[in-house]
Amino acid sequence: MITLTHFLVVSACIFSIGLYTVLSKKNAIMILVGIELMINAAILNFVAFGKYDKVSYSGQIFALFAIVLAAAAVAVGLAIVLNVYRHYNTINPDEVNQLKDK
Amino acid sequence: MSPLAAFLYQSLLGKRDQSGIVSLLAIALSFTGGGLTWFTIWNNAPVTVQADWFTIGETSFKVGILLNNLSTLMLFLVPTVALPVHVYSRAYMKGDPGIHRYWMYLSLFCFAMLGLVIMDSLLLMYVFWELVGFASYLLIGFWFTRETAIQANKKAFLVNRIGDLGFLIGLAIVFTQFKTLNLVDLFGDNGLLYQSAIVDGLWVSPVNSLPQIWFTLGGLAFFLAAMAKSAQFPLHVWLPDAMEGPTSVSSLIHAATMVAAGVFLLATVFPLFSESALLFIAIIGTITAASAAYFALGQYDIKRILAFSTISQLGFMMVGIGIGTWDAALFHLTTHAFFKCLLFLSAGAVIHEMAHLKTHSQLDFDPQDLRNMGGLRHYMPKTFVLMSIASLALAGFPLTSGFLSKDSIVISSFEWALSKGNLYLIIPLSLIIVSILTAFYIGRLLFKAFFGEFRLTNQLHGKLHDHPLHEAPKTMLMPMFVLGVFCLFPLFSFNPFSYHDSWLMDGLLSDEYAFAPSHIAHLIIPAILFLGSVIGWIIGWKWYVQHRYPFNPANPALKVSLNQGYINQFYDVVFVKGTLKLAQFCYWFDRHVVDAFVSLIQSIVLSISQLSVWIDKYIIDGFVNTVASVTYWTGHQVRLVQNGKIQTALYSVFLIVLLGLIYLLFF
Repeated sequence: MITLTHFLVVSACIFSIGLYTVLSKKNAIMILVGIELMINAAILNFVAFGKYDKVSYSGQIFALFAIVLAAAAVAVGLAIVLNVYRHYNTINPDEVNQLKDK
Repeated sequence: MSPLAAFLYQSLLGKRDQSGIVSLLAIALSFTGGGLTWFTIWNNAPVTVQADWFTIGETSFKVGILLNNLSTLMLFLVPTVALPVHVYSRAYMKGDPGIHRYWMYLSLFCFAMLGLVIMDSLLLMYVFWELVGFASYLLIGFWFTRETAIQANKKAFLVNRIGDLGFLIGLAIVFTQFKTLNLVDLFGDNGLLYQSAIVDGLWVSPVNSLPQIWFTLGGLAFFLAAMAKSAQFPLHVWLPDAMEGPTSVSSLIHAATMVAAGVFLLATVFPLFSESALLFIAIIGTITAASAAYFALGQYDIKRILAFSTISQLGFMMVGIGIGTWDAALFHLTTHAFFKCLLFLSAGAVIHEMAHLKTHSQLDFDPQDLRNMGGLRHYMPKTFVLMSIASLALAGFPLTSGFLSKDSIVISSFEWALSKGNLYLIIPLSLIIVSILTAFYIGRLLFKAFFGEFRLTNQLHGKLHDHPLHEAPKTMLMPMFVLGVFCLFPLFSFNPFSYHDSWLMDGLLSDEYAFAPSHIAHLIIPAILFLGSVIGWIIGWKWYVQHRYPFNPANPALKVSLNQGYINQFYDVVFVKGTLKLAQFCYWFDRHVVDAFVSLIQSIVLSISQLSVWIDKYIIDGFVNTVASVTYWTGHQVRLVQNGKIQTALYSVFLIVLLGLIYLLFF
């Protein structure tokens, strides 16, 4: 049988991969990808727990909202990356360190 | 007191009065005063006068005068010898640029000497004792521009100082034992000294008791004082050098009076001597007499021969004290004063004339050297006669005063030795030999100076006819004549052959001696001495007048005699150089050990301070700095988080959440 645990484990794995991607990639687009992955993992989690609400299927509904919000967040993220590129001419997050403590 | 006034007068007036009349009048006054005192006091009760001086705690010291037979005898003797010397000095020192100082010092000396003999307290005697030494220093160095004179007066003062030390030690011992220094209290008829005794190895007096050795030591301390002042062996070395002073000074001080002060002191404190101290005195006296007579044989300076003769006769006097016959010693002192003074004055006359010859002929020779003289009796007959009389007295020729006094000592020493044991006979035998040597060396002086041919005739090339040597002036001859009369026997005893009839000895010590008289000795010893003297003079005549001198003049025994037994060289090497070496050593020690010690401390302190600087700089400050840098480093490390990279921030957020999760899950 595929139990709840399998879903949670998969979700955790995807979240960890997303977290790793955010923290270690040297490309801003990849960071966005990682964020997206984390959001998707959370959505998966919602859906997994939605199984226990047979009345209003709130898990799945919220998952739909979350997908929209994820898209909006990525759109804003891309706008920011574009502006950053326009200013700094690079999208390597390590090189945008003007707030560094001198 | 009158010489003191003369001293003050002369010192104030200085160069303005060079005639010396005041000093002369002062000493004449002392002469009359002394004479009158002596006449009244002699063989009468002693007189004392006292006044309070100062008080320390419970002890009070008085200053006063004691006039008994002994002190009035000296009080009369000193001016009697000093007055002729003052008169003589007027002619002898005429023309000397420093003559005003001469009168000043001479009066000072007379004052000190007179004061010494009449004081009634040992402490005051010490004051005048030192003053006499000081006056002697001034007079020896009278011609202070001469290097030899300066050395001589320094030497005299230093050696005298050793004696002063002895006097001080004696004073301390006497005061400890008797709590008084007054002569009457100590040595008077019921004196403290007669009430003390040696009991069970302790010297017990009415006020204190000390171990027995102090009795001998007290006597020896005073003898040390007399040894230095009266030129006993080995402290006699200053007297030959003291001849650097004017001859009239030598005659007064170093022949008749000051050197006699030592004998006077011993006679005054005579009850203080124990048997062993007296024996020591006698032995030293004999050694002195013998060594000085030996040294006199090789000298060729007139005054040196006479100086050694003085030392030798002082040795006789010391023997007289050592055997207990201090009256004989004082008798010899009195007769010696007259004939020795006369010998020196005659020698002075000769030197005066030779110096005149030197300035007139412009030759360069030593006026005091016997080898430049000869045949002087043709030119200076009266001086020759007077000097001969004095020489006969010195040699102890019968019919002179010297015969009486010398025999009194020699015969008494013989009787004393007989009573003690045969080994003690060495002393009288030595004295007999010394007496014969005395006759010989004084005969040598007379023969070389007055007989034969004048040795400088060749060098003078006939200038002798232009400036002949002539007799001494009357001012010099008169005092010499007076002294010459006193060298003969009638002044002292009406019997020229027996000293027991002498009024002088009777007046001083009327008790019988402790030893038995020996009539044989009274006959044989004078005979031996007379024969010995005559034989000595015959030999001297052969050798010095007829020039049949058998010995090699450079033989070693003569060299030793001329160099005074090399005692001076010995003292120079041992004491003078020793003291200088000690001073050098002390300097070296101070530089290298004491200063090194100080600089060692200094370097220790410096290195400690450097160490503490280092500790302060590296350890204490280092600790503080380390704390600061650790803090800084920690901060710096923590600050690394703020590197401006967004991923770092995200990473730290993740970390904190993780930590919180672990905390919530497990704790």
